[in-house]
Amino acid sequence: MSGVRLSRISKRFGDVTVIDQVSLDIEAGEFVVFLGPSGCGKSTILRMIAGLETVDDGEIHIGERRVDHLKPGERGVAMVFQNYALYPHMTVRDNLAFGLKNVGTDKQVISKRIDEAAQSLEITALLDRRPGQLSGGQRQRVAIARAIVKEPALFLFDEPLSNLDAALRGRTRLELAQLHQRLGATMVFVTHDQVEAMTLADRIVVLNECKIEQIGSPMEIYRRPATQFVATFVGSPRINLLPVTVNAGTDDKAAIALPNGEQLLTAIPMAKLPEGESFTVGIRPEHARIAEDGVGEVTGTAEVVERLGERCLIYLDLGNGHKLTAEDRGGSTVKAGDTCTVKVKSSRAHLFDSTGKGWHAEGE
Amino acid sequence: MRAMRLHPAALTLVIIGAVIMMIPLLWVLGLSFKSNAELLADTSRVFSPPYTLENYLNIFGNGEVFRWIINSLIVSLGMTTGVLVISSLAGYAFARLDFPFRNLIFIIVLLGLAVPEQAVIIARHQMFSAVEMHNTYFALIIPGMATPFGVFLMTQYFKAIPKDIDEAALLDGASRFTVFWKVLLPLTIPAQATLGIFVFLTAWNDYWWPLISGTNKEMFTLTVGIASTQQNFAQTEGLGFLMSQAVFAALPILIVYLIFQKYIIQAVAGAAGR
Ligand SMILES: Nc1ncnc2c1ncn2[C@@H]1O[C@H](COP(=O)(O)OP(=O)(O)O)[C@@H](O)[C@H]1O
Ligand SMILES: [Mg+2]
Repeated sequence: MSGVRLSRISKRFGDVTVIDQVSLDIEAGEFVVFLGPSGCGKSTILRMIAGLETVDDGEIHIGERRVDHLKPGERGVAMVFQNYALYPHMTVRDNLAFGLKNVGTDKQVISKRIDEAAQSLEITALLDRRPGQLSGGQRQRVAIARAIVKEPALFLFDEPLSNLDAALRGRTRLELAQLHQRLGATMVFVTHDQVEAMTLADRIVVLNECKIEQIGSPMEIYRRPATQFVATFVGSPRINLLPVTVNAGTDDKAAIALPNGEQLLTAIPMAKLPEGESFTVGIRPEHARIAEDGVGEVTGTAEVVERLGERCLIYLDLGNGHKLTAEDRGGSTVKAGDTCTVKVKSSRAHLFDSTGKGWHAEGE
Repeated sequence: MRAMRLHPAALTLVIIGAVIMMIPLLWVLGLSFKSNAELLADTSRVFSPPYTLENYLNIFGNGEVFRWIINSLIVSLGMTTGVLVISSLAGYAFARLDFPFRNLIFIIVLLGLAVPEQAVIIARHQMFSAVEMHNTYFALIIPGMATPFGVFLMTQYFKAIPKDIDEAALLDGASRFTVFWKVLLPLTIPAQATLGIFVFLTAWNDYWWPLISGTNKEMFTLTVGIASTQQNFAQTEGLGFLMSQAVFAALPILIVYLIFQKYIIQAVAGAAGR
């Protein structure tokens, strides 16, 4: 088990810089998730760590060893691919054994490791089948088992769950979390799915357009998004964004004026905010609740009501060109077309300046 | 493959077509089991006894014909092996390796598809003459080993294999050669079989180049050899013997077909549909 250190690594494809001077320290035993939209360079970083892409600039260390000049097979990493990449002509057993045979592992050790991995992933009954005779979920388990038997210093996952149906994805996600706990191995996981990132990660690295936007624990990312991009990318339903003007409130906290003129007091220290900027406020739907007593700051017409069981999402048209997503309790009586008033928990509001940088309440 | 039910009229047509094509073959087969003496008098009783194995025994008694069969086998198998090796290696290179002028070279290879044998055969003849290589297996085999079609087929086939699989193998500590040999090559077996059958049959049936290059009776292939025995009176004198040679010449093709039926049908269906 070892950590990983990326030191200012860059990658260019032709004239296009896909990864620009990215640095990152991953601790031994940590589960790190790269989260970002499609095409932001997540896979490229992972493949650079694996040795499947060359590194144009910078260094990669796995443990104490510098690896960026080593062949993929010499780096002590195992990777699980999105499309499983099993060897179609080999039985499951041979798929698992292939990597071990290549490095001359003892026959008995091979068969012992295969049996153990197969047992823990419940694929023992499949060992003599070919990948073509397996379901998607089974193939995924085999792919994971193939990584485990190598006992690598580092596991790499490139969107391994995206080809599974929703139920299976949820189950496999849980199993991956358990696997990480059991093995205590270092794992780097790439996904565009924020739910996977939130549930699996010790730390999330949010990427956008070749750059790291933020590194932090799932709750840090959610509660204190470093940028407007992070705030919108993480959290479902999406955070509400409204243009506001900022003025000095009380207790050195910033006050904001919503587009409808309503004044709100945030918990964000005024002193830190840059001057002469235009700001956008970010309010998560769970902090914008339908006010049953009609006392609130924002009023709008319900366009769509989504009933999720334990809560409802109300999509409001504020009538001034802005929209807002609010939450209500599960038994909400709001119907489409109703006029609703929303109570905003302004102490939980975020501000973003024109460069997208985020400002938050102290503490938490 | 989808199961299809033929319309009765279509089925009738197919059967009629098949019978028409089979009659000459059955005729040949029948004649080959008749004694030459009987055929000299009358060929109309092909489908009634007596039959004899005399003609087939004569083939083995006749050192010359036997030699031609061996020649044909050596040439066909040699060419098949050569084409498979070259096409696989070239296909892998075009599909997976990065080297200067790759696309240009690939196009040049493809242009080879457009060059008919007739256009180069004199030059080829003179080349082998100049190095005094005629009447060797080498001369019979080598020209057929340049098959743009094979290179093209294998390139496409390697390209269709997801690169993930190579990468998984590299991460599994495989060398480039191990990836080629143990992972990719086994995946191309259907294409190898198709190409192999195609080359083998072409080589076995080839007539023109062996006729030009193998001028010694010793170096005749079966096709050239059989043709050489068809002198003026062959049709009347040794008809049964001739027919038994023809049957013998077709035998390997039949065997290949029976063994690789699955692949041949796939190849033909693949070319037609999809
Ligand atoms: N081999 C390549 N050649 C050229 N461009 C590439 C190559 N691989 C990836 N890219 C580009 O690099 C960017 C990042 O790709 P990738 O890392 O696969 O994104 P992600 O995994 O985040 O979806 C994309 O814009 C993609 O088009
Ligand atoms: Mg990707």
